[in-house]
Amino acid sequence: MLSIKNLKASIEDGTQILKGINLEVKPGEVHAIMGPNGSGKSTLSKVIAGHPAYHVDGGSVELDGKNLLEMEINERANSGLFISTQYPTEIPGVNNVEFLKMALNSKRAFLGQPEMSDEDFKKLCEEKMNLLEMDERYRERGVNDGMSGGEKKRNEILQMAILDPKVSFLDETDSGLDIDALRIVANGINHIMSPEKAVILVTHYQRLLDYIKPTYVHVLRHGKIILSGGPELALKLEDQGYDWIEEA
Amino acid sequence: MSTATSKFIQSLPNAEQAIARLRELGMPRRNNELWSFFPVAKIPTPEFMGTDFATSPAANPAAPPTTAPAHSSSDEAVQKETDFAALLPIANLARPMIREIADGADEMAMLKCNNDFGHTVLEIGKNAKVSLEILDNKVTHDIAAERFDINVGENADVEIFFANPACDLPLRFRHFNINQAADANVRFSSICKDTAIGRVSVECHLKGEGANFDYRSLHVLDGEASQHSRLTIYHEAPRTTSTQLARNLLSGSARVSYDGSVIVGYDCTGVNSSQLVNTILMSEDASVSVKPVLKIYHDDVECTHGNTVGELDAEQMFYLVSRGIPKKAAQEMLMRSFAQETFLPLPDSPAKKRLMSSL
Repeated sequence: MLSIKNLKASIEDGTQILKGINLEVKPGEVHAIMGPNGSGKSTLSKVIAGHPAYHVDGGSVELDGKNLLEMEINERANSGLFISTQYPTEIPGVNNVEFLKMALNSKRAFLGQPEMSDEDFKKLCEEKMNLLEMDERYRERGVNDGMSGGEKKRNEILQMAILDPKVSFLDETDSGLDIDALRIVANGINHIMSPEKAVILVTHYQRLLDYIKPTYVHVLRHGKIILSGGPELALKLEDQGYDWIEEA
Repeated sequence: MSTATSKFIQSLPNAEQAIARLRELGMPRRNNELWSFFPVAKIPTPEFMGTDFATSPAANPAAPPTTAPAHSSSDEAVQKETDFAALLPIANLARPMIREIADGADEMAMLKCNNDFGHTVLEIGKNAKVSLEILDNKVTHDIAAERFDINVGENADVEIFFANPACDLPLRFRHFNINQAADANVRFSSICKDTAIGRVSVECHLKGEGANFDYRSLHVLDGEASQHSRLTIYHEAPRTTSTQLARNLLSGSARVSYDGSVIVGYDCTGVNSSQLVNTILMSEDASVSVKPVLKIYHDDVECTHGNTVGELDAEQMFYLVSRGIPKKAAQEMLMRSFAQETFLPLPDSPAKKRLMSSL
C-alpha cells in the first residue's frame, strides 16, 4: 500500500534530516513511529506530503504503486494520503466547513466523481462531528482559528474522517489532549480505520497506543529507522527510554 | 437643527471661491505632500467657465493671484482648503445635493451623482442612525470628482460605504469631509476593484468628546490600476478614538498608496488611535507605498501604526493544498479570507452585508 524506500531528504541549508528511511505499510496495519526529539519523525511526514521546505535527495514513496514524490501536493492528498501535522496551521477567515467541503469535492473531482450535494455533505459532517463529539461551534470557526491544542487535533481527525484517506500519517495527534479528548480522538481513529486502510502514528507515549493497537512499532533516530518490533517494543521504550538501543 | 445647518452649509465654498483657490494652489505636483504618490501627470488641466486654467494667474507668477472677494462666511474655510480634488467638483459647478436627516432618525440611503462632478452635503442630526451607500456616478468624461461634506450630530451612528463594481474610468477622485460631534460614531468602509487611476481622500474632524471614527478599506487590484488613499484624522477633543485598517491585494502592475495622518490636538487627553496597513503582493511588479504621519500635541494619548507587506502565507497554502485543494483555489480562499477579515469586526449592518457579499 505505502512503500517508502531509502528516502533521504534535507532542508534548505543542505543538512540531511532523513538518511535512508525504509517502511512498508500494508492495508489494515497500524504503524507507530517513536523516537527522541529531532530524530526526523515530523520531517518524514512533511516530506511525504510534499512540504516545499524540504528537498528529497533520493529514494521513493509509493502509494498503491504510484510514486507520490512525482505528484503535486494536492494530488498526493487526493490519491489517498492524509497528513496531520504536529502543529496544525491556523487559517483565520477560512470557514472550517467551507474548507472541508472544498477539500472533499476537490478529491471527488480528482477521482472523477460528482460534487457532493450540500444536503449530503451536511449529513456526512454531522455524522463525523458526532463521532468526535464536536459541537456546532466548529462549523462557524475559521480553520483551527483560535482553537486549543486539543481542539485542533480533534479538528484534524474530523478532516481525516471526512476525506476518508487510504493512509493517514498522524504526527503527535495525542499531544495537547486531555484524558477524555484522547479517548474520543482515539475512538474516532479506530472507527475510521478499516482493513483497506492504514495509519502511521507518530507518538512519544504509550497512552495513545493503549487505545490504538499498533501492528508494528518503529524507532526513528538520526534520520533512520533503527529498530522495529511489535507492540511490546512501545512498552519497553516507555519503560527504558531510547539509550539502550544505541547500547545494543 | 436649522441654525446649525445654515452655518455648516454656509461654510462651504461656492464655485467662484473654489476656482480662485484652485488657481492659488495650482495643479497638483509630486513635491506637494498631498500628491507625493499620485501620478499627477495624468490629471488634465481643467477649464472653468470657459477659462483655460493654464492661462490663469497662477500659471503666470508675475500676475497677482485672483481671489474671490471676501463676502461670505465660507472665506475662511475655503482659504484652508488645500486639496485640489476637494475643490474640483465645486469649481465645476456641481450642484450640491443637500440633505438633512432629523434628530433620532433611522435611515438607509443610497447616494448617486448624476454627473461627472458631484457634491453631496449631509447634515445628520443627534442620535440619528444612518446607513449610506455611495453608488458609482454616471460618467461621460475622462475625469470624475465627487465631494461629500458630512456633519454628524451628537451620539449619531453613521455608516458610509461603497463597494462598487470594477470601474474603468480613467481618473476618479472622491473627497470626504466629515465632522463629528460628541459621541458620534462613524464607520467608513470601502472596497475598490477599479482598473484605472483613482484617489479617495478623507478628512475627519473629531470635534466632540467621545467621537469615534472607524476606517476600513480594501483594494483588490490587477493590471495597471493605480489607487491612492489620503486620510487625515484630526482629534480635536478629549477621549476621541479612531481606527484605520487598510488592506491591499495587488496583482499585475497594480499600485496602491496609503498616506494616513493622525493629528492629536492640545488638551486632547485620552485619545486612542490605531493605523494598520496590510498588503499582499501577488506579483513582482505590484507595489505599495505607505506613509504614516502622527502629530501628537498631548502626552496622554495612545497612537499606534503598523505596516506589513508580504505574500500569501506559505504554511497556510501548504495546509490547504495538502488537503487536496488545487493551488489556485487555495490561493483564492486565502485571498478571500484576507479580504473578509477587513470587515469582520464591523457590527451586523447593511454595510457589512453588502461589503462581505461583494467579496
